[in-house]
Amino acid sequence: MASQEYDVIIIGGGITGAGTARDCALRGLRTLLIERHDLAAGATGRNHGLLHSGARYAVTDSESAAECIRENTILRKIASNCVEETDGLFISLPEDDIEYRKTFIESCQRAGIKAEAIDPKDAIRMEPAVNPDIIGAVKVPDASVDPFRLTTANVLDATVHGAEVMTYSEVTGFIEENGRIVGVTVRNHRSGELSEMRSAVTVNAAGIWGHAIAELAGISIGMYPAKGSLLIFGHRVNRMVINRCRKPANADILVPGDVVCVIGTTSTKVPFEDCDDIRVTADEVNLLLEEGCKLAPSISHTRVLRAYAGVRPLVASDEDPTGRSISRGIVLLDHETRDGLPGLITITGGKLTSYRLMAEQATDLVCSKLGNVKKCETALRPLPGSEEEVGISRQSDSLGRKAAGNRHGARVFQMDFADKSEVVCECEHVTRAEIEYAIKFLDVHNLIDLRRRTRIGMGTCQGSFCMLRVATVLAQALGCPEKASEFVRQYVEERWKGLTPVCWGEGIREMEFMRKQYGK
Amino acid sequence: MRYDIIIIGGGLAGVTAGLQLHKAGKRCLIISEGLSLHKTPKDEYIAAGGAFLPGDSVISGEWDGNALKAVRTRNLEGTRLEADHFILASGKFFSRGLVATMDAVIEPVFGCDVEFDSCRDKWYNDDFYAVQPFERFGVKPTEDGRVFIGGVPAANLWAAGEILAGETDIEQSALKIVSILVK
Repeated sequence: MASQEYDVIIIGGGITGAGTARDCALRGLRTLLIERHDLAAGATGRNHGLLHSGARYAVTDSESAAECIRENTILRKIASNCVEETDGLFISLPEDDIEYRKTFIESCQRAGIKAEAIDPKDAIRMEPAVNPDIIGAVKVPDASVDPFRLTTANVLDATVHGAEVMTYSEVTGFIEENGRIVGVTVRNHRSGELSEMRSAVTVNAAGIWGHAIAELAGISIGMYPAKGSLLIFGHRVNRMVINRCRKPANADILVPGDVVCVIGTTSTKVPFEDCDDIRVTADEVNLLLEEGCKLAPSISHTRVLRAYAGVRPLVASDEDPTGRSISRGIVLLDHETRDGLPGLITITGGKLTSYRLMAEQATDLVCSKLGNVKKCETALRPLPGSEEEVGISRQSDSLGRKAAGNRHGARVFQMDFADKSEVVCECEHVTRAEIEYAIKFLDVHNLIDLRRRTRIGMGTCQGSFCMLRVATVLAQALGCPEKASEFVRQYVEERWKGLTPVCWGEGIREMEFMRKQYGK
Repeated sequence: MRYDIIIIGGGLAGVTAGLQLHKAGKRCLIISEGLSLHKTPKDEYIAAGGAFLPGDSVISGEWDGNALKAVRTRNLEGTRLEADHFILASGKFFSRGLVATMDAVIEPVFGCDVEFDSCRDKWYNDDFYAVQPFERFGVKPTEDGRVFIGGVPAANLWAAGEILAGETDIEQSALKIVSILVK
């Protein structure tokens, strides 16, 4: 069995693991990041893509609220390429308690969140998509963030600073010596190979799957898997994030992102064994649409592109059937002090917005164990792509180059458009140049990975028209042309999962077309 | 404008029926909303002098009891297109012969009775490669092939092709109606 030595091993290629890998690498630690599937394949890529201002938690969870606004401010600077500064509205409808607004604004101010009461008429002028029946609105600094881009940028920076990354590699057990965790055994799902990776400290950053990881070490961390379902619409109806000004409930946030918008979420406890194959039900879809229309009525006649669901890695504190009242705060567990098992820590809870702080706290703990005194720099150093302005694209730039600049920021300068500017995915204007860049720098092994790195096939055709071409180009570029049809099969099955819950209207037309095109 | 038979839909069922009926001496009109992918029978039908209205769709019907008298199309709204018989061959969802709302499947032009599962979670199969329940939804006709509207069989509106419920042999379903109409 092959064996390698690191200072720190991080389990989980979601945003928390990616952020932790970056932080560890920047502090000079020999770092290995291990991910069972692909980067951002779990809860990281299955949420609103909302960069919280913290306003949502101001009344009920002031600690999370304060964390959110600090991190929101930081990410606008270090991840400018991943963030769209949309601002957000918290709206009151006639059936809502307008008195809540006062508590809400006061709580925001206490947490350091700028919350400005807006006259309903001005709010409608500002955001014409909002429900015209609003009786009040509050403007807050919410924003939209692309979680795929953010994760990729963190991993890219980690590798630039010496970290190693293993995707499609699953931790199958811990290596324990003299009562101490000294590494992990890893199964590479692509080669089937089993190997040993040794480290002074191992960080469990596997989200909801962290529960099972901890169990491998004989530890229980009492996680609470709370499923949240969302719908993504075929075009963007709102410019600003629209929230409901009331206690957090179902389907009360509509977030714009790129050319689409997302309504969510629901919240229901699910069994751990369901977390690998989580599906959205018709009842959830109905509820999301019914409530979503109250935020922006025009979504009732906007095509639903697909449905998806993620599982929040909450840590249970008491019995709560929905998990809504569990804190979204950060949970950092030192299993040495908590369970008498040195060499292992768990970082969980938290949110996409607070990932950097989670990573900082986890890395601080790792460093204190290793005697490393280097300070955290992640709040100050821009992520790859956000170091410099791409500048206003020139009229003469091709659409593909403009789109790539929007997605990858300054990294677009690393792409070679000469002879490779032909568009492969029309919906998102992804070119051969961008695909080749992604393969070279962003750890791409199949079409689904490529979708997460470039948005290929994420547009209105959902890949129906471009899939064969993309699969061929990708398989050739990877040097394995025989894999093209396997790429298509994986991709179609993944898309199908998102389409089935929304199988009416244009959705069912899409499904019939896909079946005729690829089903036989 | 008067025809013997108006066929709604220019897919395989529509052009198959049209060609055979035309050969049997019937004056036919095929109204086709989209592309006809079945070029050979379509070209043969047109070459033989069959009337073909491309890029248009039927928007309403004019009824006398349970007999369809005439239809109107989007492009020729002012024109009544009359016929003795009508064949509905407008296909399934992709070609908009059927329309699915969040809780029902309807035939949008005449409101023909449609067979479907009332529970939307049962419209699909999780396995993409399996036959999908929604692919079996459609119009359930009388023994000889006429549609039902509100439980009553229409006198002269026939259904052929993919719009039919269940597993359908498209050409056979069209030829079956042809054999009745040329008698």
